[in-house]
Amino acid sequence: MRRFYLLFLSLLLAVAATADPQYEEHLHLEPLPQGLLLASFNFKSNATLQSFEQQHFKYIPRSLGQILQHARTKELHLRFSSGRWDAESWGARPWDGKKEGGTGVEVWAWIEADTGEEASLRWITLNHALSGLFCASLNFIDSTRTTRPVHTYEPVGDHSNTSLSNLHLLHGTLPREVVCTENLTPFLKLLPCKGKAGISSLLNGHKLFDASWQSMSIDVRPVCPESRSGCIVEMEQTVDMVLDIERSKRPHDNPIPRPAPADQLICDTSKSYSSSEACFPIDMSSMQSWSLSDVFGRPIKGSCLANDIRGDRSESVCISVPYEHQVFSSQGSVERKDPSSNHRCYVLPENDAFEMALPQQESQAVLPRPSPPLYASRSFTGHGQERGGVQSLLTNPSPNAAVSFTYFETLPWFMKPYLHTLKAQIAASPSQSQEEIIKSIYYRPALDRQRGTQLELQISVPPASTVRLTYDFEKAILRYTEYPPDANRGFDVAPAVIRLHPDPANPSSKAVYLRTTSLLLSLPTPDFSMPYNVIILTSTVIALAFGSIYNLLVRRFVGADEVESFSLAKVKARIKGRFAVIKDRFSMKKEKKTQ
Amino acid sequence: MTIEAPTILALRKDPRLLKIPPYLSALCIVIGIVWLFLLPLNEYSRHTYISENALLPGQVHTYFGGSEQNVFNAYKHEVQSLLGKDPEVIAAQLSNILRSVGLKAATQKYHYEAAGNVHSGENAYAVLHAPRGDATEAIVLVAAWTNMDGEPNQSGVALALTLARYFKRWSLWSKDIIVLITSDSKAGPQAWVDAYHDEHSPDSADPLQLKSGALQGVVVVDNALDHRFESLHIVYDGINGQLPNLDLFNSAVAIASGQMGIGVSLQRMWKHGDSYRERLQTMLRGMVSQGLGHASGPHSSFIPYHVDAITLQAVGHGWQDEMAMGRCVESTFRSLNNLLEHFHQSFFFYLLMQANRFVSIGTYLPSAMLVAVNFTIMAIALWIQSGRPPKRRAGSATVDMKESEVEVVRKEGMVALVPTADLAIVERQLFLPVALVVAFHFLGAVPLYVFNNTQQEALAQTLVFFAYANIVLPTLLAIIISGFTTLSSHRLILLQCFSLLLLGMFLATLATLNFSLAFLIGLLAAPLSFVGIAMSADNGDAPPELGTLRKIVSNVLLHLLSPPVVVLAVCKIFGADTGATLAEAAFGWKVSGLRTQVVVCCVWWPAWLIGAVIVSPGL
Repeated sequence: MRRFYLLFLSLLLAVAATADPQYEEHLHLEPLPQGLLLASFNFKSNATLQSFEQQHFKYIPRSLGQILQHARTKELHLRFSSGRWDAESWGARPWDGKKEGGTGVEVWAWIEADTGEEASLRWITLNHALSGLFCASLNFIDSTRTTRPVHTYEPVGDHSNTSLSNLHLLHGTLPREVVCTENLTPFLKLLPCKGKAGISSLLNGHKLFDASWQSMSIDVRPVCPESRSGCIVEMEQTVDMVLDIERSKRPHDNPIPRPAPADQLICDTSKSYSSSEACFPIDMSSMQSWSLSDVFGRPIKGSCLANDIRGDRSESVCISVPYEHQVFSSQGSVERKDPSSNHRCYVLPENDAFEMALPQQESQAVLPRPSPPLYASRSFTGHGQERGGVQSLLTNPSPNAAVSFTYFETLPWFMKPYLHTLKAQIAASPSQSQEEIIKSIYYRPALDRQRGTQLELQISVPPASTVRLTYDFEKAILRYTEYPPDANRGFDVAPAVIRLHPDPANPSSKAVYLRTTSLLLSLPTPDFSMPYNVIILTSTVIALAFGSIYNLLVRRFVGADEVESFSLAKVKARIKGRFAVIKDRFSMKKEKKTQ
Repeated sequence: MTIEAPTILALRKDPRLLKIPPYLSALCIVIGIVWLFLLPLNEYSRHTYISENALLPGQVHTYFGGSEQNVFNAYKHEVQSLLGKDPEVIAAQLSNILRSVGLKAATQKYHYEAAGNVHSGENAYAVLHAPRGDATEAIVLVAAWTNMDGEPNQSGVALALTLARYFKRWSLWSKDIIVLITSDSKAGPQAWVDAYHDEHSPDSADPLQLKSGALQGVVVVDNALDHRFESLHIVYDGINGQLPNLDLFNSAVAIASGQMGIGVSLQRMWKHGDSYRERLQTMLRGMVSQGLGHASGPHSSFIPYHVDAITLQAVGHGWQDEMAMGRCVESTFRSLNNLLEHFHQSFFFYLLMQANRFVSIGTYLPSAMLVAVNFTIMAIALWIQSGRPPKRRAGSATVDMKESEVEVVRKEGMVALVPTADLAIVERQLFLPVALVVAFHFLGAVPLYVFNNTQQEALAQTLVFFAYANIVLPTLLAIIISGFTTLSSHRLILLQCFSLLLLGMFLATLATLNFSLAFLIGLLAAPLSFVGIAMSADNGDAPPELGTLRKIVSNVLLHLLSPPVVVLAVCKIFGADTGATLAEAAFGWKVSGLRTQVVVCCVWWPAWLIGAVIVSPGL
């Protein structure tokens, strides 16, 4: 009995020791101006380092965990993004830009290896395995698309100093990758509830990929909190999207935005010409009512892992609307309103569906989002097929504080920048010297067909000014087989990554990440029909020449009267003669035998 | 007696050989012209077809209509309330309207000065970010505030604003849509597209605050009518005769006439019955427009940047309303949206005879090449002649043969008697002809500068003065040059030879870029290969003598076809104001990058001058 008691107590203790939530999920909704909605889904899974290394996978999926172990990856960040974040209208990026990547696929990882070559090999293994897991073309991240940034990325996990010295950071991007449902499905399969319950049941390929901007991210990192003795491995999956409410509300079987009937048009009646024939439309998109099933197509089906989470169940769904706005929620959910922060959070019912609806409000007010610390946009200058230029406009909106950041660009090898033409000027007063703007340059030149250019600039922009960063480049002509099937579209240049340094004076400030859009570089294309032309022409020439010379050498002309005429009787006679000879030979043999 | 051996080597020295090239040249010119007249026939022209399969023109349902008419009417009232106001006020209000639709809008100021005229204004534009796109490509919808005829483009601008609002609701765009409303049809789009590619001069145009990706296609909407229209007139000529991809034109035709049932016309041929005569007329009008190379619409400025652009203009009285035009534009944009790659499949060099008949460069190029080759043939003939020793005069050939003029030549055991004159090596004196040709061609920069930098009021008189100067200039130059050195027939032959060589070479090269300009200049300069020293054996090395009648005829012909006289005559025939035409050319030079004047002033006029000097009475 005592043994049983001891066993039971130790079990309880063990359970209590692991009573920290091993899985939590959170949905944050925030209406944006012009009838848009920012939805952030966040899923966190924990596992102790011990159980991870012993391959006891519970909430961290085995498929991903084993890949990371095989490729000796200590920290992985994988991003799938599409669309574009409109900083002027929507403000600062969610999560300070830490959970988003450039258009397409972006992956960076800290890989443990002794040498750089070993790290590259493991990196390739990692990418190929991830490519299979996520149905994305990550296997195209080869040495031409991989860089080792120096200043741009810092490990967010806790690594011991000895392991840090063996860790290599490798970063790869695929700007051309189109993100779609085949990437969402494996992403959802990594979750414990697999998209069937909890907030992940809202994620639907039709709505997610109709969004104006969406980003799916996976972060795996080791964390060693002070409260515990051992380290844990934390996997965080995030889906951010900006949905257009009016577009999402269109029924699935009739998504065409037909012009509204004339009586449903909302007109500006203050205009002098306003009548039944002329209607100056007013944009009322920000004042419409919406609900979760309108926007996502279905309500939330229960909550995920409610039985496994002990103690108070955490609030899973939060929405940021002004305090006076009305929000209706379905039965069985518990609401908590915070008067100071305009947050309203709900605990999901265990088994029932959760629905939330916002009716049309009197005031159009949308809570202002924090303003971004920097605006960045990048574009090509010049035209033609030989050379061009890149221009980046970096605007510091703050009136009194300068902003300093790292500007990281990775260019393909066939885009050859001339670094001596790199110029940074204040757009309004071009006379200010360049040394004050570009503090340092880290430049790794390209090697043809092996690696691209890596450029990291430390830039400081004075308050309330715009810096215009320009440099010229030359385009290379590729070999005939190096062009993709849509050669005349052009080649994608990866977005520039901007990392704002944390303010040294403020201990709680963190690094903020920004990304520009990708660029389309049009290269001169050869005439792809030329190999065919050459083959046809040379074959014809050879055939004619060979035929003629062969005839000249071999053909013999004889007079017509010298030619033996052909008669069937003669041929028959000859054949008969041959047969007779053979017969004679046989008969002679027979005679010899009989003799 | 000279011994004439009937072998090819002796044929080389045959004086009759040099009689052929003039006829050959004339034959080339005739064939070149006749070739052009054969092109409209069914056997030599082709039906148009869509090469880029991704375009799928006319395959989408268009939903523009219904309550969009009410919105259009409201925007048209807004546009009418802005008529006659300052460009800044117009641009500000238009960008406000675009912002109310939900787009990001900005304005751009520009200021150009050419021929004393000031072209300034402010463009308003807005960028519709494709909701699921990646901002790498863009298509542009342009509506100019005043169209090419100077009329206010009311319905066009209102349609552009309505379409901007309509397009915003769709999420299927793969490329950003830029809506651009320019102050005028020529300087405005040029300023905008220059600034978009960052190739503007900072004191002429402001930089753009909003940019998107690479431009893939441009559609310009022009509807200055206040009644329903009958058909769409498509304008496609660009600066310097560059044309957009034929696929864009074919898509617009397929959509307008196929899907929407609206007739399509081109080159201002309002009634086209598909007869030979109308096809020929369309083709010749297209050639004239291409040869002049001026801006024929707001779309022309985009084409030099390798961005394909067309203008859709509503013409006639009919029953098609603005919604029909809006549906055409919507369908065209849906086709442009389908593009996976930049336009590259179809032809960039073509001549259109009708909305669905064309000839491609492989078929029409030989005609301009033949016209250019005729100069080269004459140049080669002149070179050969300059190497021949001067022959005796016919009268004194055989009788006075003396012993000392005949040489004995021994070679390989054979003996021959050859006249000394035949063995004499003729040294060609190259320096003066080459120097003169080069000097005259550089002299062409003077009229180029003068005509590009004169005020418009003085331009007509300058041209007339230039025409008068041209009458006396060749004689004057001939007298001045013969004052320094003698212009022997040998030197004149070489001068003409180099001038024709240069002309032939240049025109042959130009034919690949701007076929019509090369053809027209070749035709107008054709007499240059026939004036000058006659290709005959009867030349002495005495001072050159042309037959007096031949000289008079040559002079008259040349002066009738001198460049300024041709310009004046053409302006008179087409009823255009000379000053306005030349001011237009100066505007093209300063703003659009027009290079026709370079060909006229620095290639044709110097060649003409050299020809006129050779036949001038001053020699």
